[in-house]
Amino acid sequence: VNASPSAGAAGTSGTTAGPGTQPAGRRARAAAIGALQAALAAEHAAVYGYGVAGAHLAGTRQAAAIRYWAAGQAARDTLAAMVVSRGATPVAASTGYRLPFAVHGEQSAIALAAFLEDRVTAAYLTLVALTDTKLRLFGARGMQTAALRAAWWRGQTLAFPGLEVPAPGPVAAGAGGGQPSPGQSATGGTSPTSPPTGPAGG
Amino acid sequence: VAREATRRGVLAAALALPLAAGGCKGIGALGTPPRPLPDVAVVREAITDETLMIARYTAVLAAAPALAGSLRPLLGQHQAHLARLKARLVDPRAGSEPPLSRPHPQVPGTPAAARAYLRGAEQAAAQALMGRLTAASPSLAQLLASIAASEATHALLLGPHRRTG
Repeated sequence: VNASPSAGAAGTSGTTAGPGTQPAGRRARAAAIGALQAALAAEHAAVYGYGVAGAHLAGTRQAAAIRYWAAGQAARDTLAAMVVSRGATPVAASTGYRLPFAVHGEQSAIALAAFLEDRVTAAYLTLVALTDTKLRLFGARGMQTAALRAAWWRGQTLAFPGLEVPAPGPVAAGAGGGQPSPGQSATGGTSPTSPPTGPAGG
Repeated sequence: VAREATRRGVLAAALALPLAAGGCKGIGALGTPPRPLPDVAVVREAITDETLMIARYTAVLAAAPALAGSLRPLLGQHQAHLARLKARLVDPRAGSEPPLSRPHPQVPGTPAAARAYLRGAEQAAAQALMGRLTAASPSLAQLLASIAASEATHALLLGPHRRTG
């Protein structure tokens, strides 16, 4: 899955250019659109990737993949609406994605799921740098949601989710499903089973 | 070609934002009146909380050594958080500050209760960081959000185990 934000953001943002000559408000709006498009591109990639991963999983893990696939679709709709409300065209999903490694069984499917969530976490981190406080909090909540899923798949935590993204690769044996599902462990209003909700259209 | 330029413009604006905001503060810091930056207060609060969290883990590990296998990785990540936060303070006196009241938390004795205690502390710490996001500069906000996400995942792993896989 080519989830790099720059590649994903290339596509459509129909805004005017020329940073440096724009008033601050316009620059801030362009930055918000760019960050939202990056998050949207990462969600597109995750939706695709969960389709691949889910085919190699069974039981609780497959149920989680299906749940997170659906949540990614909902997050995608939310982000697309936020882009539209800012006068831009949401980036479309690619027709195909290159997987970071071959997925041919349960362990590689779990590793792919963790990789996808790492990338989503990093994409939402961009929103946290915005000056718009609503978008900043929206981004931080999106980070937590994705980081919780990544930790569930991996069975391990990271010191700096989003900031330091691990290289794609195998996860520890027994990861994914050995821990309580993130859905049962909401941290102060962050429920990974539901898509990030935020200032849609705001 | 014009479309390409447009995309670059949007991306450049997104990338320039944190730098621009950080740059403004840097210039401000060079001025003679040493007006404390908001970030310094936010970082100090976060350092206090991380220090307390490390004290909690240390106390739990002393009371329940059997938990070392699961807790040491989490403690190590808190130590990484603390180091990264301290690196944000450029004040040369930062290292010689009065110890922040050297916390010695009372912790539950049983492993299950200790895990629940740490889980609650992690959740509260993540929430506290979320509350500080809007007062921080863009790059500090990113660090705080990342630490908050890390703490939320700690709470997940500290939850009651239910073998489902």
